[in-house]
Amino acid sequence: MTLHEKLSSGKFVITAEIAPPRGTEWKKVIEEIEPLRGRVDAFNVTDCQRSMLRMSSIAMSKILLDSGFEPILQLTCRDRNRIALQSELLGAAALGIRNVCLMTGDFTTLGDVPQAKPVFDLDSVQLIKSVSDMNRGKLINGKDLDEPTSFTIGAVFNPFAGPKRLQVWKLEKKIRAGAVFIQTQPVYDVKTAREVAETIKDLGGKAIIGLLPIRSVRMANFMEKLNPGSVPTDLRRAVEKAENPAEYGWKYTIDLAKAISEFADGIHFMLVGKIEELADFITYLRNNHGRNE
Amino acid sequence: MVTVKLKPIEEILKYLKKEWNVGIVGCEIGSSRCKNGGLREAKKLAEVLALNGYTVAFISSPGGTCILERLKKNILRDIEEKCDVVVSLACGAGTQVLAENLDIPVITGVDTLFIGAETDSYTFKEYCIACGNCIISSTGGICPVARCPKSLLNGPCGGAINGRCEVDSSMPCIWYVIEKRMEELETIASLKLPQPPADHSKFIHPRELKVED
Repeated sequence: MTLHEKLSSGKFVITAEIAPPRGTEWKKVIEEIEPLRGRVDAFNVTDCQRSMLRMSSIAMSKILLDSGFEPILQLTCRDRNRIALQSELLGAAALGIRNVCLMTGDFTTLGDVPQAKPVFDLDSVQLIKSVSDMNRGKLINGKDLDEPTSFTIGAVFNPFAGPKRLQVWKLEKKIRAGAVFIQTQPVYDVKTAREVAETIKDLGGKAIIGLLPIRSVRMANFMEKLNPGSVPTDLRRAVEKAENPAEYGWKYTIDLAKAISEFADGIHFMLVGKIEELADFITYLRNNHGRNE
Repeated sequence: MVTVKLKPIEEILKYLKKEWNVGIVGCEIGSSRCKNGGLREAKKLAEVLALNGYTVAFISSPGGTCILERLKKNILRDIEEKCDVVVSLACGAGTQVLAENLDIPVITGVDTLFIGAETDSYTFKEYCIACGNCIISSTGGICPVARCPKSLLNGPCGGAINGRCEVDSSMPCIWYVIEKRMEELETIASLKLPQPPADHSKFIHPRELKVED
């Protein structure tokens, strides 16, 4: 079953995130995710995440396809104008890539090529709309495509960004523009996850809640700084006290994932540290979850 | 106004020869107001050049160095007679008008920065990028094109944390400011509407404005 089929039939989906290499050595990336074959439904392939220069997400998505994995091609507005974006998307469609996750993208100066010209010709809402139009056979200039594309469109949501009202309105615009599934920034408590899932579902989107296991006190502090209000005080204290913070963080994430699987449409693992354990967990989740058989 | 910043003296000296008679031209509109290229700075630069063994033969700071008519009337002939080179402290526009209308070399002593609003005395902020397609009537009179680094039209990005911009946390995320203003004006509901992509064909330089009588 493809990601699209799973989402349309209301099944619980599990996605994970991989980054293309800083170079051309893609085999290692594929080897690393081998234990997740058949367990993770689709892999987000990041597009020079945090504005760090890496291999093209389209090339890496095609490599995933060829290796028997389903990719979700991430595409940002940071590096390409509307001509380049649509041209790349047509290329991706021709290569057999069916899922896209579209976002504005981090700013250039935050990455490792701060001198680069920031593009931001379109924003996420406009890009999503333009891909929906491609699915209806129209390019952004109004010209007809020889064949409509058939992308399943995803978008992102950060529950910890503000202003709250405008963030939710923007989320609504994304869903109205054609985003089917929404993947979120990492969430660390059930209450927030439930609220976020409800917000997304109320607007008609499929809620795929982001998870990123805490491995250390330092990481807990980093995440709290990145997304203030995201790491509960109890969790931070427990990580501080834990003999093995990484172990604790992992178990915490697994418990959280179980809880989330009761109300969300999916979970998105943003870091695939313990691949074997993640694979076991996913098997467990699938065996114990009504929507997954 | 157009803001400028004086270049380091070493960079200016690279282009000058000691045997030359140097003219220094500032601008009393933009450069003067931001204290980086008016008559005062022109005179200061003259002192520094003299200390370094250069001959300054002419100093002037017209009220609008980018207005050719004024240059013709007041300073071009003087410069031609007295100088072998001109150091301009006017913005890029004024400096080029000088360069196009003099036979001698014109070098710049400033970097031209942006269209600045002086919100606190002598603090200039970039409020407008002259995109040629003004939308601020629909954003509470506050421009997200100029004041959001990503020029976002459909609301804040996911990097807007605690009211600050992800690009520079010393800056507010302008969408917080827009929200507050539009809330006060009771026009906030209009931000629910999706905004189409900007028309960048209106932003292709060089642009020209011809005014009919």
